[in-house]
Parts: sequence; structure tokens; C-alpha cells
Amino acid sequence: MLKLGGVTPRLYSQVLRLAASCNIHTTLSTFSELKAEENEEFRTLELRSKKFVRQPARVMKSHNVVPPRYKRQKVDQDWGNVWPAARTFHPASVPLPVRQGYPASGQVTPDKWGNAELMKIPNFLHLTPPVIKRQCEALKKFCTPWPSGIETAAEQEKYFPVMVSKSTYLHSSPTLRDQKARIVTLRVSLKSLDLDDHGRDKLLRLVKNRHDPTTDCLTIVADRCPLSQQNYDYCFYLLTVLYNESMKTEPWEHEKEVADRERYIWEGSPSQAALQAIIDSNEDSTPEEVIEEYKKVVIDLHNEGEDEPTLSRYRDSVMKLVGLA
Amino acid sequence: MTAVYMTQSWRACSSLRLGHSLFSNGLLRGLHTTQAAHKAQAGRYRVTRNRSKPLTYEMANQPCQIAHRKSWNSWNTTSLYEGLREPETVVDDIFIRKFMTGTWHNLFVSEVIIKRQHNMIRIAGIVQRKIAARKMYFLIGYCEELLSYWLKCPVKLELQTVPDKKDVVYKYI
Repeated sequence: MLKLGGVTPRLYSQVLRLAASCNIHTTLSTFSELKAEENEEFRTLELRSKKFVRQPARVMKSHNVVPPRYKRQKVDQDWGNVWPAARTFHPASVPLPVRQGYPASGQVTPDKWGNAELMKIPNFLHLTPPVIKRQCEALKKFCTPWPSGIETAAEQEKYFPVMVSKSTYLHSSPTLRDQKARIVTLRVSLKSLDLDDHGRDKLLRLVKNRHDPTTDCLTIVADRCPLSQQNYDYCFYLLTVLYNESMKTEPWEHEKEVADRERYIWEGSPSQAALQAIIDSNEDSTPEEVIEEYKKVVIDLHNEGEDEPTLSRYRDSVMKLVGLA
Repeated sequence: MTAVYMTQSWRACSSLRLGHSLFSNGLLRGLHTTQAAHKAQAGRYRVTRNRSKPLTYEMANQPCQIAHRKSWNSWNTTSLYEGLREPETVVDDIFIRKFMTGTWHNLFVSEVIIKRQHNMIRIAGIVQRKIAARKMYFLIGYCEELLSYWLKCPVKLELQTVPDKKDVVYKYI
């Protein structure tokens, strides 16, 4: 045991430090006297392990946040400059007090701050009426007036009888391709093609169901080529070939028989022969209009089919012919 | 492996005797089953005793409320009639969500919202203000740049920040 008398605490602590560095065994029973006076200089020796003392939670520095943008916006600002393109809703930039959502019990509708629902939905803040007006004004200089001389549908049909249509498709994806964009449709009215009876009949036989009898329009759809330009050329090629073929008369076409005819023809038919026999056997000459009416009615009956009106007209005509009406 | 048969008219609690292979030491091990419960438990959170679990609006509304009180997180034209590229878009969306939540460590307090418009992808969401604004700008640029390279189209991030995640809490259960 080190006996120290009349020594200052400073010297004592220096000696202790020296002792500690040299690993000299010391007891500190005299410490308690000195501790009371000079607490700061001497460390307390804890023989028992300290209880775990929870450290205070790390306080995150709150970063200086710029005040929301709407506070700096004038009332008469140009909104088109604030929101020029489509953008997700941003509550600090939009000065409107909008709310969205189903309120929890006892709460109000959730406001715009931290509202994911408002961000999810598409907004049209970039398309306010003044902005649309401005865009239309800007586009006007690229527009040309409608050409004169083709205002009415009849004139358009006369000067531009062929109508070609195709569709382009837009998807929200990185690819541009859509196979349906190669389809080209060509529509033309048969009135605009100068065809005689034989030509029209031949054309209708060639195109079959591509002709619509109610509108008298021929529709050609081409999708067999990979590009729409190729399909467009193919459509016009088909139209050219159809027209030229229907204008031509092949030598074997005279072999057309009565059963092949597309409509009933009065001249040379058995009905005409029968009528002639009736007229000849009749003493008084039958009037011309009765003959004409009978002819017309029989043609209608064959071409338009047998239904109430045609049958009743046929009956009336026969009555007049026979003389019973 | 012995086959296990279960008839359709099995009612309530039933024990199923398995084959000889499980008969060992004179003990029989069986399988106790009940009628199929057909419970829906997707997207539903269990109520706590002391109402301590915070839920956002998204979490509070169950999947059956989509199109009624909730909207979709992913907007694109792939599910329309003759829309193209649907499976690739779904996989891209999964990747974007994982990437965003991973890059912004514990910072997202809402779902990642993905909108596709023309050939652009616009990613939106709500983020906490736990990091400095400069770091946020860096992360925004980093995400936009890398995602546009991976997904081969322009990517734009449109984030909203809240000071604390308590600001997006809708209710406690």
C-alpha cells in the first residue's frame, strides 16, 4: 500500500496515471476522501457492468423546406406556363383546395396533401380553355382553306369517286408496330365507273359479295402485304384489272344460257309467246297499256320475287287482260 | 407415395388415414381437415387491440373497392381490346416498383404509381423528407436515367414529398 501524506490531489492523480501505465497494483481506498472534493478529476470505477442505458433516438435534421409554390402565384397568372404538359397532380403547385377520397368515420374528405388518389387519376390541368385556344391559334397558320368547287357531297362524289381509308394505331408502349395498320380499304360507287349492262353484270359476277346492292358501292379490302403502301397499290391494281376485264368480252361469254341470266328478260320468253297467243285469239284488240302492264308485272314477279304486292298486281293485270276487271 | 383420396361429401372435421408408410411404432398419424373456408384475405389488415396500426387510404380500402373508392396504380392501354404487349408491361411494372422502393430506402409512403403515355413512363408517388433535397434530386436523375436505359423509353419521375409519414395516415385499426 502506497502511503501518501501531504500530497496534492493533482500529484496524486498524476502518480495514479503513472501507476496505471506501469501496471502497478494500487488500491483506491483513499479515493473516497478525495472524491468528495474533486469529483471532476477522478473517474469512478464501476465493477459491476452498467445497466443498458438507451441512447436517445437519432434526431433527423429537419431540412429547410421551401414554402409551397402556390403562395408565390399571382391571381392573374398565366396557368398555361405553370402547367404546360400533362403532369401528375402536385398539391403545392395547384392553388385549388380540392379533396378526394371516402372519408373515414368521423373525419372529413382527405385533402390534397399527401393524397395518392389525386395523383393516380389523370388530370387535364394542361388543357384549360385558354390554353386550347392558344394552341388552335398556333395551328391555324398550317391550315389551308377547303378547295372551292367541292363543297357538296355530289360534287365530291363526281370529282373524287374513289375513297381509300386506312387506320393507324397508337399504344402506350415503346413499340410503334401494330399489324392492323397495314389494312387498306377502297370504296367506289359503280355509278362513277362507266360500265354498260354487260360490263356491270361481269363486274358483279367477279366481285361477288364485295358489292353492296343497297348503296351500289364496291369495297375492296387489302391486307395481304406487310406494308400499307403495298396494300394501297394492290387495291388500285385490283380496281384497274376488274374494270378492264369487265369491259372486255371473251368469246366463251356467248355461251350464257337462260339459267345463267342474272335477271329475267321478257323478249323471247315463254310468257311473251303465251301472251301473243292470247292476244291473237282475242277478237277485240287488247289495248296497248294492258299489254305493257302485263309485261311489267311479269318482269317484276320474276325479278323481285313473289310477295303480296307483286301477286296482287299480277292478278289485277290478268283480270284486265282476260276482260273480267 | 400412396395416393390420398378425399370425397366431396366430406363434412366438418374429418381425419384422414394415410397409408402404411406413416404407420410406425404402433402410432397412427392422421391429417385433420375442415371444409374449405373460401375466405378472402388479400389486402386486408388485422385489427389491433389498441388501434395502433396506421393505415394509408390505399391500405384501408380493400381490393374490392378498386373502381369504387380506390383507383389503379398502373395506367396503360395494354388491357384494352387488341392492346399490345400486356405481359411485358406487367413485368416492367413489377421491376419498376422493386427498383423504386429499393433505391429510395424506406422513403416511399405510398404505392408507386406508373402511368404510360405514348412512349413515356411517368412514375409518381409520395416520399418522406428524410434526406436533403440535393440527394433527392440526385436520386430522381439517377432513377430516370437508368430506368430509361433499361426500359428503352423516356422515364419521368413526378414525386410529392411529405414531412412525416404520419401525414399520409388515413386511420388506425
